[in-house]
Amino acid sequence: MQRIVSLTDTRAQEFRTNDVHNRRLAAELRERQQAARFARPERDLERLRRQNKMFVRDRIQALLDPGTPFLELSTLAGNKAYDNEVPGAAQVVGIGIVSGREVIVHADDASVKGGAWYPLSVKKIVRALDVAIENRLPVVHLCDSAGGFLPLQAEFFADRYYAGRIFRNQSILSKMGVPQVAVVMGHCTAGGAYVPALSDYNIIVRGTGAIFLAGPPLVKAATGEEVSVEELGGADMHTSVSGTGDYFASSEMHALAIARDIVARFNRIPKAAVDHVAPEPPAYDPSELYGIIPKDPRVQFDMREIVARLADGSRFHEYQPRYGETLVCGFARLHGYQIGILANNGVLFSDSALKGAHFIQLCDKNRTPLLFLQNITGFMVGREYERRGITKDGAKLIMAVSGAAVPKLTVNCNGSYGAGTYGMSGRAFDPRFMFTWPQSQISVMGAEQAAGVLTDIKAKQLARNGERLSEPQLAAIREPILEDYRERSSAYYATSELWDDGILDPVDTRNALAIALSAALNAPIEAPHYGVFRM
Amino acid sequence: MFHKFDLGGVTHELWLAPTVNGYHLHILDGWSGPVAFAEEAAGHGSLTVAGTSKAVAFAVDGDVIHIHMRGRTRSLRYVDPLRALASVDGDDGHNVARAPMPGTVVALKVVPGDAVTAGTVLVVIESMKLETQIRASQDGIVERLHVKDGDSFDRDAILVTLSQGN
Amino acid sequence: MAAISFPFETVLIANRGEIAVRIIGSLRKLGLRAAIVYHEVDAATPAVALADVAFKISGRTPVSAYLDAEQIVTAARTVGAGALHPGYGFLSENAGFARAVTAAGIAFIGPSPEAIELMGDKIRARNFVERNGFPVAPSAIEESDPSTFLARARSVGAPLLVKPSAGGGGKGMRIVRDLDLLEDAVAQARSEGQRYFGDGRLYIERYVEKPRHIEVQVLGDAFGNVVHLFERECSVQRRFQKIIEETPSPALSAQMRQRICETAAGIARAAGYRNAGTVEFIFGGGEFYFLEMNTRLQVEHPVTEMITGVDLVAEQIAIAANRPLSFRQPDISAQGHAIEARLYAESPERGFSPTSGKVLMLDYPHEQGVRVDSGIAQGQSITTAFDPMLAKVIVHAPTRDAAVAKAIRAVKDVVLLGCETNAAFLARVLADAGFRSGEVHTGYLDENPTIASGIDGDPDEVTGLLAVAALVTRPVRDAADAVPALHAAIGDWRN
Repeated sequence: MQRIVSLTDTRAQEFRTNDVHNRRLAAELRERQQAARFARPERDLERLRRQNKMFVRDRIQALLDPGTPFLELSTLAGNKAYDNEVPGAAQVVGIGIVSGREVIVHADDASVKGGAWYPLSVKKIVRALDVAIENRLPVVHLCDSAGGFLPLQAEFFADRYYAGRIFRNQSILSKMGVPQVAVVMGHCTAGGAYVPALSDYNIIVRGTGAIFLAGPPLVKAATGEEVSVEELGGADMHTSVSGTGDYFASSEMHALAIARDIVARFNRIPKAAVDHVAPEPPAYDPSELYGIIPKDPRVQFDMREIVARLADGSRFHEYQPRYGETLVCGFARLHGYQIGILANNGVLFSDSALKGAHFIQLCDKNRTPLLFLQNITGFMVGREYERRGITKDGAKLIMAVSGAAVPKLTVNCNGSYGAGTYGMSGRAFDPRFMFTWPQSQISVMGAEQAAGVLTDIKAKQLARNGERLSEPQLAAIREPILEDYRERSSAYYATSELWDDGILDPVDTRNALAIALSAALNAPIEAPHYGVFRM
Repeated sequence: MFHKFDLGGVTHELWLAPTVNGYHLHILDGWSGPVAFAEEAAGHGSLTVAGTSKAVAFAVDGDVIHIHMRGRTRSLRYVDPLRALASVDGDDGHNVARAPMPGTVVALKVVPGDAVTAGTVLVVIESMKLETQIRASQDGIVERLHVKDGDSFDRDAILVTLSQGN
Repeated sequence: MAAISFPFETVLIANRGEIAVRIIGSLRKLGLRAAIVYHEVDAATPAVALADVAFKISGRTPVSAYLDAEQIVTAARTVGAGALHPGYGFLSENAGFARAVTAAGIAFIGPSPEAIELMGDKIRARNFVERNGFPVAPSAIEESDPSTFLARARSVGAPLLVKPSAGGGGKGMRIVRDLDLLEDAVAQARSEGQRYFGDGRLYIERYVEKPRHIEVQVLGDAFGNVVHLFERECSVQRRFQKIIEETPSPALSAQMRQRICETAAGIARAAGYRNAGTVEFIFGGGEFYFLEMNTRLQVEHPVTEMITGVDLVAEQIAIAANRPLSFRQPDISAQGHAIEARLYAESPERGFSPTSGKVLMLDYPHEQGVRVDSGIAQGQSITTAFDPMLAKVIVHAPTRDAAVAKAIRAVKDVVLLGCETNAAFLARVLADAGFRSGEVHTGYLDENPTIASGIDGDPDEVTGLLAVAALVTRPVRDAADAVPALHAAIGDWRN
């Protein structure tokens, strides 16, 4: 494999401008993540101390093997919702190493609204369990939730992917033979009671942990019976009388030690066999990504410069380098694993779409996982292109993306718009993991075009009534639309809504993808088969 | 979760990380670097820390590791997290008097059923050629004597169990 | 002394541990059979394994078995012993036992019961020595009149040393610097004397500040020949228990050495002493006073053997067999310097509290000029039933400096795993500047507590220990091995 020769001039003014800009974006990301993780009202932290509970981050730290990575997913979920009062959607989810096993950690964050489940909390939990199902990852649940946030129940209870899906997914995991351990560190009430109950193993912490369908006040209201938390669903009762609890723990640390010991018993399932060699760091410094990603998102850049800072040894075997040049395809290695990369170097034309569909099929046959690096405004439009069948060629790419059996990973490096999002394995196409970079945008079309279209419609409506708008009046209509559109197509909005699995500092991308890929390989890869390609 | 070792009453937390070239030791808030241990004969080996090797004799007795290195013998105890964390306050209303050091029983000063107050002498032991009085740490009733006159015992052995008198 | 005949074939050793092994060594050399008594807790010890015949004795406590004269005499008769070696401690200075042994027709390898009685009672011994014109400590008094004892003790003036009249080995001894505390100290010493020696009588004398403990080895035969084998200095002590002994003493000039050694021989001669014995002196301020005479083999006898080449145990046996000494004073010369360090099952770092455990690995130094007298073996359990001394490491070198260096190497090379010992402490004492310059006294360790507490500040040592512990502990290693290579390579990373 040839090493990519970077054409980036790290001393150029443009590079330095980009570098300053992107480092500032990365710092802002870090700040927001830091706040989402740790900034809590003192009274909430004080309450945890009074209850003798550990902070959720400390629980996870103690659960994980020291000296191993934790890929946290959707850290900023909910950051644009609920007046930003429910950081992380009151949930911590990530992939970590417990007793040497790759697991999904799902933890309620009791320092946020008592760990109450908001609509986005439910979405985040369901997604965590989808990740577990798709990648056959065991799950450790650290349960400490006040229950569903009732005022918003219409947005998290009844629908297909709402709260019930959590328990359905748990059951499916068990059916698949993927084990789950629940550590009950607070009250698990009503639906929440099923999280430990549906886990193959559970542990209850003496004093603070409890499981019941209805807590003491509700029991009193329903039947008049007066009963204490301990009697109703405490650690002692459940581990010695009801059998709802498996292990009695003296403390949270004891519970975590038991959980680690349980995970250490899990069978190690051999990973899907994909080509692997000893890893090698990239030849180019990944921090140069800061200088390469343009400050102005409309400025085109060569994706090979990105690949050179992600791939092992910056080596890249490019496929069809002279054909369909707006879609760069080729083989590389990520921490030793062979992957196939599809990266946008411009708008998709028919030839780029055909090349992409062909390359995906090659990789699928080859058992080579796919990495999509998005920077796509969409497919080329216009009479000429429609006549050449741009739509049917785009359909071929979408068919190939949808049908590929090998794991897909997607990173939105700058922009992802319209049908380009589909052709480049957007969220709807079930990439195993989907990450974005801080300045990236996602929407059906660019903000300017959309604002233009919307302003135009408004102006035409008024014109029908004989009104004519002055340029300042048009701007007054356009600006709020533009502002709202920009906001809702930003990476922060996307991640708030769980359209992705999190925003990455670009320099973290290589490690994040490697951990994600390793996790993905826990599931067997089906034989390749596709729907009908429109020829 | 870190591994814990007790050395002379001080707990050290650490972990080992596998690397392509063996292991890296990480001591929490302390040193970290490459380490290797080659066992050359039963109980004898060579420890390499950051490239420097020294001869080591060692013996493992349950969770206790005895090590002779650089002319000194020390003993460390691996703190099994499941056991260590299991019973933080598991005495269930019982209070026990333990031997502060190994020795022999010189005199039993109480019999089961005796009501004692904190400070009452329960047992007189002899160790290091000196007599030491083992006293009750709280009020209670003598429930059980675990030793008899002339018995020898190890450090931390339970000598007397008291129950809380009502 | 080769190829001499003895009026007995079998010698019973009424002792245990390293001294029993030591005695067996000399019996072997002399072609005699070794018999031993043992309590069952000692069944697995090397002394029992090495003896030609072993006889089990019992008692309420293990120690009481070895103090049971009747059982031991019966044992000696049963195994057909013609002589009995009492070792040190236990019944070695019990006149009644010596009489019982002799009455049973068995040669007691020790002095006459009368000599034991004379020297065993500190007050009588002191009076005897004083009467014969040898120096004794000032202001010593005797408990001849219990009603005035305390008043007379007070009149001696502080500091005082209180000790049981029948005592030895430091048991029950107390220094009193504040006379208000005298009454308490007397009561405690009396209780301990009663328990250890069955005799609560006490003895008080002026305590010499910064005293050095110097003793002289003597040998006397049944024909009135008495020689000395030079001095030993045993000033490195803890609570009157010796820790490091050496010969020659770095504190004595040639003239002083001659004076003190001749005084010792003179005392033994005046007492008509037969057997190996040790005359102990307090040395301070350029003067020495008689302290006591031990009518037995001393723990620290090997340093004398190292510099003189004399086998003291063999000489004891020859004397008990009524043979005259084979050498005269001018025949005895001293070569080089010898140091003994006592290996104890105790933790100096934790206030010298005794330790116990199973000997999982035992390996002694092999260097030339290093002798280890040991009573333990791998696999054996060490209990607190007995004195905590496990072994003695003795070195011999041409000069004191060389001997100190060798002793440090030797104690560091002692590998005893499974029971904490004072080996590191011994190395610290030997390396101490005060010890190296010879400026020690019996209170030296108390005045320098950091030697005992140790300095645990060596982070390299802790790192090494933790590294070994981590690498040989399965859960730690297994946890490391379980981490997937990719995640191990990424390490402690967070996004």
